[in-house]
Amino acid sequence: METSSVYLGRMVTVAEAMGKMGDEESRELARGLRARDPGLLDRLIERYQYRLFRYLMFLTGRRETAEDLFQETWMRVLEKGNLYNARSRFEPWLFSIAHNLFIDMVRRNRSVVNLESVDCLEMNGHFPPADTSSGVPADRLLRDEQNAIVATALGRLPAGFREVLVLRFHEDLPLEEIAAVVGSPLPTVKSRLYRGLEKLREGLEGATS
Amino acid sequence: MNANSHSRAKLLILESRAGTIEQPERIWLEDHLRECTACSAHATSMDRTVQSLRLVPIRLDPSVVAATRVSVRARADQLGSRRIPRVWLWLTCALSWAWIAETCMLLWRGFAWLGSRFGVPSPLWQMAFALWWAVPALVAAMALSYRSLQGADSLSNP
Repeated sequence: METSSVYLGRMVTVAEAMGKMGDEESRELARGLRARDPGLLDRLIERYQYRLFRYLMFLTGRRETAEDLFQETWMRVLEKGNLYNARSRFEPWLFSIAHNLFIDMVRRNRSVVNLESVDCLEMNGHFPPADTSSGVPADRLLRDEQNAIVATALGRLPAGFREVLVLRFHEDLPLEEIAAVVGSPLPTVKSRLYRGLEKLREGLEGATS
Repeated sequence: MNANSHSRAKLLILESRAGTIEQPERIWLEDHLRECTACSAHATSMDRTVQSLRLVPIRLDPSVVAATRVSVRARADQLGSRRIPRVWLWLTCALSWAWIAETCMLLWRGFAWLGSRFGVPSPLWQMAFALWWAVPALVAAMALSYRSLQGADSLSNP
């Protein structure tokens, strides 16, 4: 009994320390962003490059568009860094900037923006190609085939569905933070998540059967 | 077991894989999956989907990252050179305060003289004197607030 309470006490201390470290890190980040510290921006690009690019690939479904938005997002982080609130986490803020830039881009071509209508017709066939860099040829072939199936199924989903899927299953963001990133109410986020997952399952089952 | 329970199970499978299921529903689902082979197969299929989703490969061209770094650094330099050093801001403030302290009495006498010359009641010229100091600061504060609000809007309302 005593051991478990000591263990719990330690856990609480570790959690508090981590919380303090997180707070301190956020404050440091906010100070650096306000000062437009190029060194800090460099480190942030290094740290978040894959996560941001993956998010943009899921959102846009096009490599060229994702690359353009990748660059624009970091420029926006530099220019609007003074608006980052140290009390919130950096990742959702970063993704919300990328999301808004994507909406801006879509809005330039359309009068009404609804991510559920940015659909397969635009995105299909542009999803990331499989990584063919390593492995035994037979395994690689199988993996390529599987990746192609997943890519095709994902490409058939509307952008809004893919976005919540990547934020939930890759970024592990809580639904409240996803709602803040995509600027939609929580029920909409849940609905997109469930429908996206079910449609993806149907797409994968259809392709393999 | 009826059609309703299968529909409920399918919805709960989605909720459980999305991490939004409540504990009582989880227990109900686990019981149901133990008894229902069709729903159990559906759950396995959903697990495969989530696994496939997590394994989607994304390749980022290093040249894109390098180009981004160069652009960001160049833009940071550009913005940094435009920024007024903080020391100048404080110096300007200090000078302006010194100027106010020096000229305040003279201006007060000037306003008093104008008031008596044109027969303006004392409270009126005294109010004009107060506005003389306050209006430029208010206009500057409003302009700065407007600019920062515009900046915030461009982020929160794309």
